[in-house]
Amino acid sequence: MKHHSVAAAALTLLFATATAAAGPGSLSAYSASGKSGQALPVIKETLVAPPDVPAAIHRDYPARVVVQLETKEVVKKIASGLNYDFWTFNGTVPGPLIRVREGDTVELHLRNDPSSHMTHNIDLHAVMGPGGGAAATMTPPGQESVFAFKAMRAGIYVYHCATPPVPMHIANGMYGMILVEPPQGLPPVAHEYYVMQGDFYTTTGYKYTGYTTGAHPTPLLAFDLQKMLKEQPTYVLFNGQEGSLIGDHALHAKVGDTVRLFVGDGGPNLTSSFHIIGQIFDDVQVEGGTLVNHNVQTTLIPPGGAVTVELKTLVPGTFLLVDHAITRAFMKGALGQLVVSGEPQPELYHKVSSGPAPADKAGAF
Amino acid sequence: MGRIAFAMLLALLGSPAYAVARYVKLPAGTFISALAAPNGGPQRVHVAAFWMRVEPATNGEFLAFVRAHPRWQRGRVLPLFAGPHYLAAWRGPLTLGREVRADGPVTQVSWFAARAFCAGEGARLPTWDEWEYAAAADATRRDARRDPARNAAILAAIQASTGSYPGAIGRHRADVYGVRDLNRLLWEWTDDYAAMFPSADSRNPGTGPSLALCGGSALAFFDRTQYALIMRVAALAALRPSEAAPRVGFRCVRNDGE
Amino acid sequence: MKRRIDLVFGFFLVASLWANISAAAAALPDDSIYRIPALRLVDQDGKAFEFASLSGRPRLVGMFYGSCRMACPVEIESVKRIQAAVRAAGGRPIAAILVSFDPAHDTVPMLRMAAAEHHLRGSEFELARPQQGDYRALGAVLGIAWRPLPGGGFEHNTVIALLDAQGRIVATTDGRGKVPTEFVRAVLAREGMPLP
Repeated sequence: MKHHSVAAAALTLLFATATAAAGPGSLSAYSASGKSGQALPVIKETLVAPPDVPAAIHRDYPARVVVQLETKEVVKKIASGLNYDFWTFNGTVPGPLIRVREGDTVELHLRNDPSSHMTHNIDLHAVMGPGGGAAATMTPPGQESVFAFKAMRAGIYVYHCATPPVPMHIANGMYGMILVEPPQGLPPVAHEYYVMQGDFYTTTGYKYTGYTTGAHPTPLLAFDLQKMLKEQPTYVLFNGQEGSLIGDHALHAKVGDTVRLFVGDGGPNLTSSFHIIGQIFDDVQVEGGTLVNHNVQTTLIPPGGAVTVELKTLVPGTFLLVDHAITRAFMKGALGQLVVSGEPQPELYHKVSSGPAPADKAGAF
Repeated sequence: MGRIAFAMLLALLGSPAYAVARYVKLPAGTFISALAAPNGGPQRVHVAAFWMRVEPATNGEFLAFVRAHPRWQRGRVLPLFAGPHYLAAWRGPLTLGREVRADGPVTQVSWFAARAFCAGEGARLPTWDEWEYAAAADATRRDARRDPARNAAILAAIQASTGSYPGAIGRHRADVYGVRDLNRLLWEWTDDYAAMFPSADSRNPGTGPSLALCGGSALAFFDRTQYALIMRVAALAALRPSEAAPRVGFRCVRNDGE
Repeated sequence: MKRRIDLVFGFFLVASLWANISAAAAALPDDSIYRIPALRLVDQDGKAFEFASLSGRPRLVGMFYGSCRMACPVEIESVKRIQAAVRAAGGRPIAAILVSFDPAHDTVPMLRMAAAEHHLRGSEFELARPQQGDYRALGAVLGIAWRPLPGGGFEHNTVIALLDAQGRIVATTDGRGKVPTEFVRAVLAREGMPLP
């Protein structure tokens, strides 16, 4: 803990802001009990990797939720046989979904892995305060910053790194989401999943190989600044990897289930026209706010925005998650699968026939 | 005056325990910094001629330095001057270990330690202006910063080295001055790095001359496409001078005519 | 010329000062800023002394440059207001020193003029210039940095630090705006004074 205080002191000194009456060693980064003076029960958030989400909250009282995030720069698969140098929260793209309750105080610990090249920080859109937390979390490799905020507005929010050059930190995968549940919680559903779209800019085109080095025998795609400036991505991906939601990694539900998806767009540049082929969203929390729209085919998700969608999976089959700016789905990777298992529902959907068109009609076309 | 002091220094230190580092001369010149002027516009900077180390200080050289100056050894150095990450990758205070190559650039050194090392070879840390002036060059041009291919190659090299310890020095072609490894290998301390003053949330555009900064303004970039440079500034600016990071090393410079 | 001075300071630093930390300094705690390499100062009255000799009582320490027309006068006035607030609350007078990072221009006569302009009494508020030693290291331990501006003057930040008698930083303020209440409370607390 001492190091946090030292780091906090360093930041205040470096950035020439007024500091409270304490010096290195005694200056505390935040008040442990909050302004009310009432100690909140402390809960350590258990984070899971996407597309999974933490369990629903069943509390009727506010808590101090301790969240541990770690920024990590990791080389891993972007597409079959190709690697990319991702910058991440907790090693995944997107970073884990943080789940808290409106009224909670979130104590966010941001550690930067010692092997990082970069300084990182975090801006959470659920924060009402300078930089969304970025101003309090500039963290060099091997260090940790801590800040606390009260989650005052229920909703689904994006978080991301905001260290210069900001577009590059985001383009390399530094985003995730935080869900602030309303005090009464969310209605129970059969499945909840977490998906984020992002656009990636690599020097070689879609599925073209990059280069190899001794340290990286799998071809490594390099970031392409010029393509990013032109907003012409080579990859548009769900959860940071082509195939992240396909085959063994597909999302699953059963006939008759209600599925809730937390879908966000990390960007940096492209707005998602999010659609599931063969489904209609029963409920969409428009722009993640309190307005709920019904019977939606395609919903817009801007970079730095998110929605909650709910759908009832009535018919079995494999349903494709796409960005319906459809080139991105079939030529750049923005494709996922929702596999619905169960008995066929012929009264809702069935195939009648197929084959050669009747001869007498063939000439009519 | 400098010569006398240098002679004094040598007399006090005795013969140096390590090989004499190579320096090359950079001529005086003027360039436009990637950092914005206080009004947000271009900042024309004049740099006097100076001598720069061809390569960054290496682990081997730093080992010789701490042997000669035990107060800079890990475990003996005052926490005021070097924090807990100081030389943390070394196996021992006087042992490099297998992954820490003698010919690799020394990293995890504090700004204080880097300055002491440079003073020990009759030199100093470069100013940011001197470093940026030198680093604008490539093998054929004094200012290659407008070449997208050159910038892309630097970015790619930085990213390709993720997760690995900085490679050996001197593997890349020397620049037009004869200096090596300025852009690709690591971040390097500058003497005045702490005066680049990022605002706490650096996305805020500079708001012009600030009272808090006495005529200066929060850090802003005039050329926002110099990503490798922006990454470098972000990496340095977040560090306190006693802190040490795995990618942060240094090289020294000397005034011309010393 | 300034570079040359810096460099000579640098030589002194290595040649003798890192090596010969005084016996008094050796008794100081590891995080005492009086343990920076020896730094010899001269104040507005021409009195020369070692920076480390300031240990022994709590003190306000900052840095400035005399030709600064913006933040530095504010800083000086801010230090005076802190001293006045401590006195008003019944505390013992707290001494202050501001060290120039522009010794090329801030000569003793210049310091004397600045002190007169701000009505500073040397016994309780010293302006000083480095005579010998590494004053950038002093800035570094205080969190103060500067770069010369192309048009003259410096880009720099302002920190006023409260040091305890051993030279540990107890509190800092940027010296802007009103009297920093928390900072003054820290000064009083250091003396075991009742808080206002």
